[in-house]
Amino acid sequence: MAPKLPPKAPLEHGNSITGGASAHEGEHHYRSGPLRWLLTTNHKEIGTLYLIFSLSMFMVGGIMALVVRLELFQPGLQMVQPEFFNQMTTMHGLIMIFGAVMPGFVGLANWMVPLQVGAPDMALPRLNNFSFWLLPIAFVLLLSTLLMPGGGPNFGWTSYAPLSTTYAPPSTTFFIFSLHMAGISSILGAINIIATILNLRAPGMRLMDMTLFVWTWLITAFLLIAVMPVLAGVLTMMLLDINFGTSFFNAAGGGDPVLFQHLFWFFGHPEVYIMILPAFGIVSVIVPTFARKPLFGYSSMVYATASIAVLSFTVWAHHMFSVGLPLVAELFFMYATMLIAVPTGVKVFNWIATLFRGSITFETAMLFALAFIVLFSIGGFSGLMLAIAPADFQYHDTYFVVAHFHYVLVPGAVFSIMAAVYYWLPKWTGHYPDERLGRWHFWLSVIGVNLLFFPMHFAGLAGMPRRIPDYALQFADFNMASSIGGFLFGFSQLLFIWVIVKCVRGGVKAPARSWDGATDLEWTVPSPAPLHTFETPPDMRRIES
Amino acid sequence: MWQVIKSVLAAFFGVQKDSRRRSDFEHGKPIVFIATGVVMALIMVGLVVSVAMMAAG
Amino acid sequence: MRKVLVLAVMVVAIAGLQRNALASDWNMPVGVTEISRSVYSLHMLIFWICVVIGVVVFGAMFYSLFRYRRSKGAKAAHFHEHTTVEVFWTTIPLLILVAMAVPATATLKEMYDTSESDLDVLITGHQWRWQYEYLGEGVSFFSNLSTPSAQIEGEAPKDEHYLLEVDQPLVLPVDRKVRFLTTSADVIHSWWVPAFAVKKDAMPGFINEAWTRIEEPGIYRGQCAELCGRNHGFMPVVVHAMEQDDFDAWLAERKQQAASAANSVDREWKMDELMAQGEKVYSTICAACHQAEGQGLPPTFPALAGNQALMDDLEKHIGVVLNGVSETAMPAFSGTLNPVDIAAVITYERNAWGNETGDVIQPSDIQARLSSE
Repeated sequence: MAPKLPPKAPLEHGNSITGGASAHEGEHHYRSGPLRWLLTTNHKEIGTLYLIFSLSMFMVGGIMALVVRLELFQPGLQMVQPEFFNQMTTMHGLIMIFGAVMPGFVGLANWMVPLQVGAPDMALPRLNNFSFWLLPIAFVLLLSTLLMPGGGPNFGWTSYAPLSTTYAPPSTTFFIFSLHMAGISSILGAINIIATILNLRAPGMRLMDMTLFVWTWLITAFLLIAVMPVLAGVLTMMLLDINFGTSFFNAAGGGDPVLFQHLFWFFGHPEVYIMILPAFGIVSVIVPTFARKPLFGYSSMVYATASIAVLSFTVWAHHMFSVGLPLVAELFFMYATMLIAVPTGVKVFNWIATLFRGSITFETAMLFALAFIVLFSIGGFSGLMLAIAPADFQYHDTYFVVAHFHYVLVPGAVFSIMAAVYYWLPKWTGHYPDERLGRWHFWLSVIGVNLLFFPMHFAGLAGMPRRIPDYALQFADFNMASSIGGFLFGFSQLLFIWVIVKCVRGGVKAPARSWDGATDLEWTVPSPAPLHTFETPPDMRRIES
Repeated sequence: MWQVIKSVLAAFFGVQKDSRRRSDFEHGKPIVFIATGVVMALIMVGLVVSVAMMAAG
Repeated sequence: MRKVLVLAVMVVAIAGLQRNALASDWNMPVGVTEISRSVYSLHMLIFWICVVIGVVVFGAMFYSLFRYRRSKGAKAAHFHEHTTVEVFWTTIPLLILVAMAVPATATLKEMYDTSESDLDVLITGHQWRWQYEYLGEGVSFFSNLSTPSAQIEGEAPKDEHYLLEVDQPLVLPVDRKVRFLTTSADVIHSWWVPAFAVKKDAMPGFINEAWTRIEEPGIYRGQCAELCGRNHGFMPVVVHAMEQDDFDAWLAERKQQAASAANSVDREWKMDELMAQGEKVYSTICAACHQAEGQGLPPTFPALAGNQALMDDLEKHIGVVLNGVSETAMPAFSGTLNPVDIAAVITYERNAWGNETGDVIQPSDIQARLSSE
């Protein structure tokens, strides 16, 4: 392969690795005050903005989840009415997916991709600023629908037509507009990440030398560019059905509600990978660091991730086994799902082989990465079960599915983001996070998350449908346990915020290479990373052995 | 070309050797791999469809 | 050797636990049809496969975590590749899943074979009730949640079958192949009875098929499984399965009732009769959206109490109830309610909650409009 390498700059061999040392020249004309954050084009500042945004949305979406769990604490309607309950479940899903998990990963990419490939900044800094500031606007608009007459979106994050078109509240047009904005933000962010990875790698750094985090993000970015326009298309069709009298999804006008689901899941299934591939990358960076041993099967990981990008487009209808697909389609999607699940799932084995015969320590980042491996696998197992189409008729749209995707998304994607935060906080702030508080946060989160989501498997198998504000008496114990777990998990996150704030304010000083097992390029710049790093690109040709 | 197909198949299976990766990345063009990957994915879809048709009888 | 023993004890313990605890409310029901038993065994098979894989994988992981701690002086090795091992551990699960596909395919084909049914039932989802029509028998009725709102609001103790009880269950014969045709009058619903392993979406404008052959008489309960709006959690499915003779007797009685209802259309109805009947219809059909006191839930569901525009225009009122309002949640009731109920409910709406129009709508009048359309 012949990657397009940047022109080889004349290198000052003396300090080329710690490029940050010569950074202060460009800093004097930086603004201060709020305008600095509004107008910044610096990848580290924008990364920070993304991460703060993600954390705030995580809290907002979390409060909504707690409203849901509070209502479900006991049978009967106590706290909220069903219409508000539906708005809470819908908004919780939308905010966590588009507001917390995706911006969280984009924030990490903004901070770490340039540092890991030895680039001075993202390739398109102004675009970077724009793609961030679209998000707060989009989500303020989305949240404002809750105050509009008829309330906010109440049809589930999947927005199945015609519940989301003919039967939707009047605010749905605003919901569509805000998701359009979030989608544009994602596409622009993805373009920026691809441009950075392909064009701004340090001289001598080949694609095959990149960390798994950069690799998974490269592939994720292509997925984003491929599927966000599909989402935009299907949302626009909703918009036309609602406001312009078309009948894409209205059977009375010759349309087809199933078409909505095909289009939505053609976006939605790759979206699942968008939310998990960067997590794979993070874990593949953290586990070798704390096992002090190179990642087992790096090549396999790269190839498997690349093929997922293509194959993830061939399994979407396994979300739709009960809509009345023809038998052949049903069989096809069952087989394809099984075939693809296995090579993806066995990547867990690679991490375990990395641990095998390592020299392992258990810093908080490692604890979260290890919990990711175990709990994501549990989500993977229920995923295998869901792939069996005849059994899916019993699982579909029950709490079993809720348990499944929360296992892959919360102790999956969210734990990986937390692991990344603990891992890179020394680089961001120059201080180690408080290990003792970190451990408390970890153990409370792990106990909380399992108490929250594990009983949902049983509730679902026993027959509890999802998205109901009230339930039959035989589900009461499971729901009470889940609610207690939910509150434990939710309130533990205040500890997370405390750890971060404390770490920003001070703590044990971290050296450039903050973890003794860390080998990637970001650990060659000082901690905290100065605003400008790698203004002189590091020469990777000399590092390679 | 056979090497490219072999690499794409290895990717679908999810396992690849370091030495193969090195030679792929040093000698191959990305566009060739991507195009082959898409074509092979279509072939795989075709195969699975025909298996499903046979199974459905 | 000791480790193997411990592992064996653990597996036996888990298996024992499964037989006792998991068999009841913790697991998928075995059900009362051949299909539901196949589905259950597929479920348990894949579950145990996952358990075994999990024990092996997590076992290896925790062994490594325990054995190779740096605090115990572990020195890191430097291997980072072993293609044979990787091929091996990818192939094993792949083969297991391919093996799983065989019984899964067989069960799925069974589920899709809706031919040669003994009885066909058209199931129509409405916001938020099910309608059952015995095709070719002229019997059709709605099935509404019968749990009183006092129980939902916590003002009364909850029954054993809280939220899983209806006013009129679907009645089916046992040992007969019953075909379900599902469709919807408004949004997507999903008709689900776990004991039959039947879950089929009810799509507006389309008809899906499913079938069952119930083996034991009894009462089977399920729920709507697709989010369908405000009262999605309040539209249960109840099936009463009985022997063929009992079913025949029940069906004959329902036909009798339908015939006598048709006769009563022609007679003159009094205001208080219509109001009494209308209140019943209103509370089961209309109150979910327009609310018990007619106050509605604006802007989606308009108020009826004090709705002057509607009260001034009798023709419009009748037209809305008969034909629905396009692009809104208001369905057409001309095909689903009988003329008596339509006349009664319009009369009720025009004379309740301070709406004092004094209008009395006769069923015969509605009947005449329906036949002229």
